[in-house]
Amino acid sequence: MKRALFLLLAAAVSTSAVAATDPRTLPTKLEPAWQAKARAVFKQAIEIPSVHHRGEVPKVAKLLADQFRAAGIPDADIHFMPYEALPGDQTEALIVRWRSPHATKKPILILGHMDVVEAKRSDWKYDPFQFREEGGYFYGRGTSDMKNGDVATTMAAVKLMSEGFKPDRDIIFFYSGDEETKGEGATLGSTKWRNLTDAEFGLNADGGCPSYDEQFRALGCGISMAEKTFQTYFLTTHNPGGHSSRPRPDNAIYDLADALEKVRTYRFQPMQNEVTRAYFAERAKQEGNSPLGKEIRAWLANPNDGAAADAIEANPLEVGLTRTRCVATMLSGGHADNALPESATATVNCRIFPGVQPVAVQAELQKLVGPKVEVKPDPNFIGVPTPASPLRPDVVKAVTDAVRTVIDPRMDVYAEMSTGASDGSFFRAQGIPVYDMDGSWGISPLDERAHGLDERIPVRAFYDDVVYWEMIYKSLAG
Amino acid sequence: MRHLLPAAAIVAFATTPALAAVPKLSPAEHDATHAMFEHVIDIPTVIGRHNVPQMAQYVADQFRAAGFPAADIHVMPYHTGSATQGEDDTAALIVRWRAEGTPKAKPIMLMGHMDVVEAKRDDWSVDPFKMIEKDGYYYGRGSIDMKDGIVGITQAMIDLKKAGFKPKRDIVVLFTGDEETNGIGAKNGATEWLDLLGHPEYGLNADGGGGGFNPDGTPAGFTLQTAEKTYADYTFTVHNRGGHSSKPRKDNAIYSLAHALDKLEAYRFQPMMNETTRAYFEGRQKTEKGPLGDAMRRWLANPGDGEAADIIEASDSEVGLTRTRCVATRLFGGHANNALPQLASARINCRIFPGVDPNAVKAELEKIVSDPEVQVTREDDNVASLASPLRPDVTAAYTHAVQALHPGMPVFPEMSTGASDARPFRVAGIPVYGASGGWIVVPTDERAHGRDERLPVQSLDDGVVHWEIMLQELAGK
Repeated sequence: MKRALFLLLAAAVSTSAVAATDPRTLPTKLEPAWQAKARAVFKQAIEIPSVHHRGEVPKVAKLLADQFRAAGIPDADIHFMPYEALPGDQTEALIVRWRSPHATKKPILILGHMDVVEAKRSDWKYDPFQFREEGGYFYGRGTSDMKNGDVATTMAAVKLMSEGFKPDRDIIFFYSGDEETKGEGATLGSTKWRNLTDAEFGLNADGGCPSYDEQFRALGCGISMAEKTFQTYFLTTHNPGGHSSRPRPDNAIYDLADALEKVRTYRFQPMQNEVTRAYFAERAKQEGNSPLGKEIRAWLANPNDGAAADAIEANPLEVGLTRTRCVATMLSGGHADNALPESATATVNCRIFPGVQPVAVQAELQKLVGPKVEVKPDPNFIGVPTPASPLRPDVVKAVTDAVRTVIDPRMDVYAEMSTGASDGSFFRAQGIPVYDMDGSWGISPLDERAHGLDERIPVRAFYDDVVYWEMIYKSLAG
Repeated sequence: MRHLLPAAAIVAFATTPALAAVPKLSPAEHDATHAMFEHVIDIPTVIGRHNVPQMAQYVADQFRAAGFPAADIHVMPYHTGSATQGEDDTAALIVRWRAEGTPKAKPIMLMGHMDVVEAKRDDWSVDPFKMIEKDGYYYGRGSIDMKDGIVGITQAMIDLKKAGFKPKRDIVVLFTGDEETNGIGAKNGATEWLDLLGHPEYGLNADGGGGGFNPDGTPAGFTLQTAEKTYADYTFTVHNRGGHSSKPRKDNAIYSLAHALDKLEAYRFQPMMNETTRAYFEGRQKTEKGPLGDAMRRWLANPGDGEAADIIEASDSEVGLTRTRCVATRLFGGHANNALPQLASARINCRIFPGVDPNAVKAELEKIVSDPEVQVTREDDNVASLASPLRPDVTAAYTHAVQALHPGMPVFPEMSTGASDARPFRVAGIPVYGASGGWIVVPTDERAHGRDERLPVQSLDDGVVHWEIMLQELAGK
């Protein structure tokens, strides 16, 4: 799952806000010879339709493994890990270890996924599994989520190896095969396969960090270091029902409607953590003296200022960042048009602030809706809270240097909490901090097409990402 | 759709002095009745399951085995379907018991339906499609709505034939296969099958009328149904742009719908009265001493007294009788657990006072919701239903049958809040009377369409005797 690019209110951008040249037209720092190599691998990767249940993921794994092998990684350090994701979906993870001849620190783990979301030929303008370059973009399913990251992390390593670079710590590459569906690969990678993956911290290439607005203003780069916990609950009402010609005073649907009115207006307690404080500190700078900027400063100064937190939460840019949020997503009820309903159910999807237990949210919802409504978690997915990863100055510095050198000197880098979940969550839950910080960039919201139609990446952004990862490896393992 | 019963009242059309012994089925007749009931309850004749033809064939077999000529037994397969109620390959059963010689009048039609409302195993305490006898009750979907009536009519005709009864006019049976959903069978009956039915003079519907006892054993009364409210379905629909559920929007299709439903819950339509309901309340108020009786007397004296009508409507026994009622019956919404809903909708079932145009009710629903985000649409093209005139012969036969089984039981006219197969016949000029002989304990056994639907064991046998008496009265003289 790729998170949506962060979008600033154009009017509010104070720093680095000067309208500029179209970044898509500027030259990349990747040499032409390596452009050709990276492009060739990218084309092959895109043209493998690694959608769940199609059995194609192992071909992507082989493609990436072949690059590492050709660059000199011994077979003993290349591990193909077959597993079943969704029932009947035989897929595979790839684990590669680039050994340091003189390791002085624990390894770094590079995370990615090789599977893509379904794309239908009839929905797209062109075949989604045919790689195409047009108008400064590469098109195809997976061009931004995230075969771009797979290829960039691989080719950056291959390029450094060819130049004789020796890391001072092992770099482990972990590419899963079912991030978009079940996350079984990340579950296994963080537990059963831990002997192959154990690391000091992880860098996740899923989701580009830097972005521009449509006026080509640099919007900065938010490194996601924490994420909310995903938990779905079912709110159910029961009633004896009966014949609809004789309405009872009580009714399962009306009882549920009453409960939904309460859920609609309820707001959970505002909360902050190290990551969101850092994020809002950066946002306050960007916002300057706008009303939002003032509210953010007020809340940072006094975390108990609930009114300020409410104002921030109500802003479309900041939804979900100040607290746990729950929202009704599905409804079902009744069994016949001419019968009073015997039961009615609402699906309520919650994104829980890091550190809060799903059982506590369940209790809070139960208290809110009262004893007439049964509140139960979705038995198919019980969320596990993940700790926020600590702000690591070395990671922030490496990303800042790489982004400013390779992409745009005006890009600011800041911490961010993701309201969605990715493979990183499974590793965070098992004690390995993870930072989502791929260097591919796009124009927001024009290029936000992950999971959607005509997915694409600027040509320059794809090439920049290879150089970006080279700098990251050198900075954190050099 | 099954009748529901009012509470105690004494306004008999006639009083029949308690005669000799209450008539009963013989042990062999009881066993045959029980076996037939168990067989048909165990067939889940829910829409979409293609099981009605199997039941129609089984019931046809019972007629055939009893000696009714095969040429007069017709299983009529037909397709039923609509966007909202679902599809099915279903069937009707038509059986004609011909009079000897020249009939003295046009046929009498006996009506019922073989299909049942959906029942979910998880909602019930027992399997709804495995009949069990427990604590003096038969449990199962269709036990009161209305496989008891199918068995009552069928077994009565079989018993009468065996006893040598010869009708003086044709008796024709029409059992349909989609009354609970699309009503295509009844529409066909009132049009293309009318020749086969012999253009009956009137219909007696086992899916209407009937009686009840109070929990303390005192009689609550029997009713003969002469009018029914118009059935109409509406849908409230809300659209929204949707989005990712990690970023809730201010507007949400589910919340808008919930708000509209809260308004509907609180709303009450204008009270109304007609000839049948006036006669009904005239009777009811005679024995209703308390505040409910006072409200009836006030309302009868002044039909503009809305407060009195509201008190009556709020009573468990009278709900639905003073006005149009609409209630939410189903909910749909959303497309994924982790996506904001792009669509949410609720089905609203209305029972409209006879004579009121269903389009006017749509306009009123729009006013109640008064939210441009919420679209109100009709789900059918039903027209306003009509009342049937009271016939002295039917009234007398019904009263006689009821009081033979339940000496002293009061009988009175009724407007049904449900709709039934009667509608297309009434519209076509063929009066229909809901004349069931079944009874239940009110209100505890009022479980038609609900969970753990059940029928007192004795009521099944009584239903057979009831139809035997009715047919002798109306076709034997």
